[in-house]
Amino acid sequence: MNKEFAKPEEYGLADLLCCAASREVQDHEIVFAGTGLPMVAIMLAQKTHAPNLKLIFEAGTLDGRPPEIPTSVGDARCEMGASRSSGLHDAFSIAQRGYVDLGFLGGAEVDQYGNVNTTCIGDYLSPELRLTGSGGNPDINSFARRTVFIMVHEKRRFTEQVSYITSPGWRVRKWPGGETVHRRELYGAAYRGGPSAVISTLGVFRFDDETGRIYLDTCHAGNTPEQIREMCQFDLDITRVSGETLPPTREELHFIHEVLDPEQIFIPKVKRA
Amino acid sequence: MSSGKRITLQQAAEIVKNGSSLTFSGFTIWRRPFALVYELIRQRKKGLHLIEVNGGPQTEFLVGAGCVDIWESCWVGHELYGKYGANLSRKVGNKEILVEDYSHAEMLFRFSAAASGAPYAVTQTSLGTDIHNPAYDTLGNAGLRDGKRIPSHKYRFTEDPFYGAGAQVLVPAAKVDVAILCVQQVGEEGTVRVNGQFYSDPEVARAADVTIVIAEEIVPEEYLRRDSDLNTITSFEVDHILEVPFGAHPTGMFGRYDVDGAFLKDFYAKTRTQEGFDAFAKEWIHGLDHVAYLEKLGWPKMLNLKANTALKYSTGVKRGQ
Repeated sequence: MNKEFAKPEEYGLADLLCCAASREVQDHEIVFAGTGLPMVAIMLAQKTHAPNLKLIFEAGTLDGRPPEIPTSVGDARCEMGASRSSGLHDAFSIAQRGYVDLGFLGGAEVDQYGNVNTTCIGDYLSPELRLTGSGGNPDINSFARRTVFIMVHEKRRFTEQVSYITSPGWRVRKWPGGETVHRRELYGAAYRGGPSAVISTLGVFRFDDETGRIYLDTCHAGNTPEQIREMCQFDLDITRVSGETLPPTREELHFIHEVLDPEQIFIPKVKRA
Repeated sequence: MSSGKRITLQQAAEIVKNGSSLTFSGFTIWRRPFALVYELIRQRKKGLHLIEVNGGPQTEFLVGAGCVDIWESCWVGHELYGKYGANLSRKVGNKEILVEDYSHAEMLFRFSAAASGAPYAVTQTSLGTDIHNPAYDTLGNAGLRDGKRIPSHKYRFTEDPFYGAGAQVLVPAAKVDVAILCVQQVGEEGTVRVNGQFYSDPEVARAADVTIVIAEEIVPEEYLRRDSDLNTITSFEVDHILEVPFGAHPTGMFGRYDVDGAFLKDFYAKTRTQEGFDAFAKEWIHGLDHVAYLEKLGWPKMLNLKANTALKYSTGVKRGQ
């Protein structure tokens, strides 16, 4: 298989996001993923550098090896090659028990501490737009050792404070009072970690171990750190940029387009001139 | 042996009263009891309280039709075929519906508690999120927490009294009047065999006071009892049964037929407004019965959705761009 990096005209932004996300996975990890790009990313890891990863879909398939991408986590294709077909009670109990190394999620808004919103835009009691709601986002993010978010990057989405904290980041609210505390303090014995990366359509972001604040790690080709900082409503730390996001390899592109998603359900093919 | 559990779609819908609380089998766009959901809409049910592990197209149809006053769950949408629940979103915006948000695991644990006869469950999920913001207790704010069918609190916090493990969240059991399940096979006495993932069907069946099962097939009870290890729900947890082939359409049924993505996409596109929903309901629900609905869908569509028996999904459906 060809592990050379692909040339810019050979891949699209969705390919780059998928590959960047896939590289967050280590072999032998237990990974819990949501529908869409997260699913393609972990299945790509399973086909390339992490053949022993254990895949959990929250609808109830455990350690599956689907040959092609399911349309959603409830899809019949999720069951192919699974160790067990079960239900939500198993999937969420396994997560709460602490088996999950890595969660892969999406979000509509994220703030500088990795709190994510998928519930509503505007005031919760009188929202401008009601979104899908939490789904398993807070649960996976509460229990996994690391979580990776894949998001569309718009200035309004990278916000000082999310409209509603659907999924817990590094600094969260301690209810009933609502004071802001470090996640470690609130989660006590259930604390295992938290958001480890946000992969947006502009770059890859990580979080400071101590403060939990987000910083820019790599820029996708064609974006400067200053431009990306301009696209955030908070003051983005760009002092730790390590370079440009690595492009997909030809092997990765082969798996995405010829094996996993030939029907272009989640990842469109780049039209070659 | 006949158990007398067989009823018709009309009778099943009559069991659900105005103001009943209701829950369903399935997961997002899979195994939703659509044939009965359509009949509830035809009978113009009012004031329903949906309590769901997660929502889906069935929620959107019932909400769009004005059947629902309260929706208590964690998610609604059509997966790939519609970004979010446009009907619920519209009615939340117009303050025509009350929404109580929990997380997915919290809803599941709430049903597990009800299914085991416990008044509440304990969990550590979602700590620090606005799900636990006391200002966002919708049913409390509306003065509806009577401590009977609606729990007197949305949640309670406690510290682990046994191992000192710190903050815990107590979530109330999800007690519901009626559960409606849609499955591959049910026996004449009510034994259910679900093929593939069973999602949260065992919990919701047991949590409800009345459980109605619509199945692709009613099969001899003796057939299911030959391999009891393959069964999902026991006979005495099921009150009523009915055979409704293609009863989950437009959602999918593992091993039988795939999700009708084009139908859901069309629904999502056309029902962003109330006028759009009303026109859709006039075309696809009112004035039809289940057989007339399938006739309207037509054989070419149904054959295309039919699952390959080895693969368990349809090889005819075009899923992508």
